[in-house]
Amino acid sequence: MSAAANHACKSWVLLHVGNRRFALPAESVIELAPPVRLHNFPHTSQLIAGVIVRRGRIVPVYDVAPILCGRESSVHRFYLIADRAFGVSSDASEASAIPVNGECELANGEMQPRDENAPLYIAGTLAIENENIDVLDLQKLVGVAGDNPGAADPAEPRP
Amino acid sequence: MKIATPDATKSRRSRSTEAVILFCIGVQTFAIAADAVQEIRSTDSLATAAIEMELAEVPKVRHLVERSHRTYYVVSGCAHFGLRVTRPTLVLILRQIRTAVLVDSIERMADVSRVHALPQAFQGTERQWYRGLAYLEDRVIPVIKPDGFLTPQEFARLDRAAKSIEPRHEFEGAVQA
Repeated sequence: MSAAANHACKSWVLLHVGNRRFALPAESVIELAPPVRLHNFPHTSQLIAGVIVRRGRIVPVYDVAPILCGRESSVHRFYLIADRAFGVSSDASEASAIPVNGECELANGEMQPRDENAPLYIAGTLAIENENIDVLDLQKLVGVAGDNPGAADPAEPRP
Repeated sequence: MKIATPDATKSRRSRSTEAVILFCIGVQTFAIAADAVQEIRSTDSLATAAIEMELAEVPKVRHLVERSHRTYYVVSGCAHFGLRVTRPTLVLILRQIRTAVLVDSIERMADVSRVHALPQAFQGTERQWYRGLAYLEDRVIPVIKPDGFLTPQEFARLDRAAKSIEPRHEFEGAVQA
């Protein structure tokens, strides 16, 4: 589900990537998965760190820390699994995982419009506990590498 | 009430699983449908039959072999998947496709009950490489698409290059005689 199209959403999952907090619409979040084995194989898709297996499903893992924090983070051992939409059809979605540090919480709040200078993958902001937390648009966030190849590693096959 | 005969049980089981060959290139394990492989040979046994060829547009192919009046192009598995170069010891000669693949070792055969679709998140050339993913004994193993090693355009280029090699070899053979 696109976060931008979800202004009515009042419930959010707050997650830590690097030393920053971000939010995702709660209804797009499937689960917080424990540290499970990350499987890897050769591919050329940018941002994908590998796959994990959850409840019989193979879930791609997006390494978004370099985009959100500008560097790799070694503290991410849990996986926040959320639906990523493909195309406009609501059934064309796929469970996708983001490595997080495990400190996730549920919060309520009204999303404010995004700053016009903010990256496109920021859908808006939440004011929670005197902090402005960016709301991520997962679809746009993981599409960043395709739009801007410099945002991630070049397309060398990843073993 | 019908009682299943052993034969019926066996055929049901064979329908629900697929035999694959697990092979390794470097540290990476891949799977390929067993019925997609015609022969597995050692590189030594094919060395005398292999003809060198170099085509800048298809650098992953450096040899061809003639088998049963067909020309097979030998693809380096390392180069194809972008893996660190190793010393391959085996060649998988594929069935119905004029491709042979250099690999390091055969791990074993296995039965897979399901090949999962490659997640849509994968949008690179791996969509041509893999049929999908198998989950086998706590490992996710990519299942190779046998026709994904060479594109029709690459076959056409290689066929053109191979044609120019043939007369040269005939000439060299005549001079040696």
